[in-house]
Amino acid sequence: MIENILINGLIHGGVYALLAIGFSLIFGVARIVNIAHTAFYMIAAYFIYTFSTRMGLHPLLAILLSVVIVTLIGMGVYQLSIKPIQEHEITVLIITIAVAMVFQETVLLIYGGHFRGNPGLLTGFLEIFGVRVSYQHLLTLIVVLFVLLITWWILLRTRLGIAIRATAQDREVANLMGMNVHRIAMITMAIAVMMAAIGGVLIAPLSVVEPYMWLHPLVMVLAIVVLGGLGSIKGSLIGAFILGFTETLVVFLLPLGAFLKGAFSLMIMIVVLLLRPEGLFGVAFEEER
Amino acid sequence: MLLEVHHLSVCYDTAMILNDLSLSVGEQELVSVAGPNGAGKTTMLRAISGLVRWEKEILRGSRYGDITIEGRVHFSGERIDQLPAHEIAERGLLLCPERRRPFREMTVIENLMAGAYLLKDKEAIKEHLLTVFRLFPVLKERSRQVSGTLSGGEQQMLAIGRALMSRPKLLCIDEPSTGLAPLLRKEVFQKISEVRDSGIPVLLVEQEVSTVFKMANRNYVLSSGKIIAEGTAQELLQDEVLRKTYLGL
Ligand SMILES: Nc1ncnc2c1ncn2[C@@H]1O[C@H](COP(=O)(O)OP(=O)(O)OP(=O)(O)O)[C@@H](O)[C@H]1O
Ligand SMILES: [Mg+2]
Repeated sequence: MIENILINGLIHGGVYALLAIGFSLIFGVARIVNIAHTAFYMIAAYFIYTFSTRMGLHPLLAILLSVVIVTLIGMGVYQLSIKPIQEHEITVLIITIAVAMVFQETVLLIYGGHFRGNPGLLTGFLEIFGVRVSYQHLLTLIVVLFVLLITWWILLRTRLGIAIRATAQDREVANLMGMNVHRIAMITMAIAVMMAAIGGVLIAPLSVVEPYMWLHPLVMVLAIVVLGGLGSIKGSLIGAFILGFTETLVVFLLPLGAFLKGAFSLMIMIVVLLLRPEGLFGVAFEEER
Repeated sequence: MLLEVHHLSVCYDTAMILNDLSLSVGEQELVSVAGPNGAGKTTMLRAISGLVRWEKEILRGSRYGDITIEGRVHFSGERIDQLPAHEIAERGLLLCPERRRPFREMTVIENLMAGAYLLKDKEAIKEHLLTVFRLFPVLKERSRQVSGTLSGGEQQMLAIGRALMSRPKLLCIDEPSTGLAPLLRKEVFQKISEVRDSGIPVLLVEQEVSTVFKMANRNYVLSSGKIIAEGTAQELLQDEVLRKTYLGL
């Protein structure tokens, strides 16, 4: 059981981290709360289901196609429906809720509300110290950690990463340093949606694919970014693993845990906020002018 | 002239902040602009560097009302007032903003790298980094420190160093001495004249006229959005009315 908790906690924490970091990045760079963020994760799961289960494409090709298509959809949504109203917070909230609903209803129309399964890439088990871990779980874990590592490297070590972080902290000064803030926001949106899409294609074989599967992760992502401190990437990463493990522990250790996991995570968030209102790694945004 | 501002006016909603302002900066020059609080000095630099246009663009249709910008700005013979801020920076006009505004969560070296964003050549970046470290040795000592924890003086050095990283053709600095102790002010002004001597012209907004006028090649006095006087330190400091009313000397 401990090994199950460990590996599931890492996987869930990792997928939440993929979602929450992307959410934080967009929030920082474009100052928008993107409610539709986890809806991209949901449609990615449907794309992989369509490509691999329905159309029978090779799983790797299906993964690649799903991630690329969802990323392009994300960029299109940003350009057409978010960017024009970007500076009006309430309108952004309403528009992104609308985008999420459009995705959900479209999926409902095409696929119905049924739970869909998705075969994994690998079958079989690996025995480590007498403990059985399925290859699929292991692969998922490796990919999640790999993607997180690459994201980390981009943010800390590359010219683009410096520009993204600079823009997130002070858009005006980023402008003054010659950064095209609009273009950086678009690139950030692409990276964030790509991370969400990778989360979606990875989770599809491990759980069920259904039209409402974006709601629980959305609540979790909001809890994670508040817990970690709004605008802090490190906070999002650590918050994601804290809540990922909490959920897993609750599911494995408590009777009816699957129904209680959300409540427990939100309770942790509330306790942390009572003790530290700015979250674990709160960032004060430089107000403009 | 390197920078020529012709008849620049800026209105926020109905308030006229800059009123038909003209000024110029030549190659090799250090030009200062002084004036009382609220005269429009910061607005002038923000208009030249494209930030007023950026503000106008992002606030479009919001509750703050309209911003109107009139007049022309030429830089190196090219008209730049229609360009977005980041393209103005690309042309080599860099603004070191009021209140310094380092990227607070990033380290000193990361701030400098952000300043070098426009450079793609690694060698050039290294070279400029060495130049900046030579001018401000304290930045080298503190290079791994998160910039939000630097002292005010160090933050000012960082802000200037960051703006110098792309080796601009003109450096604009907005009130670098705010909040610094007298000794540190002297040091900052000294560094700024070193920047001019190294061949980078400077447009300096500063209230501390007693020091700055003597350093600068030419000076302007701005009041209520208008240039009310222009000249060398000698010329301006002879004018009793100017000294008493606008410069507080
Ligand atoms: N975004 C804005 N909206 C409305 N009014 C503004 C805005 N920015 C500046 N102003 C007004 O323009 C005037 C000039 O401001 P500015 O900041 O340019 O003055 P300043 O000369 O830099 O003053 P200080 O010496 O205090 O820095 C002020 O009266 C200010 O209230
Ligand atoms: Mg000012």
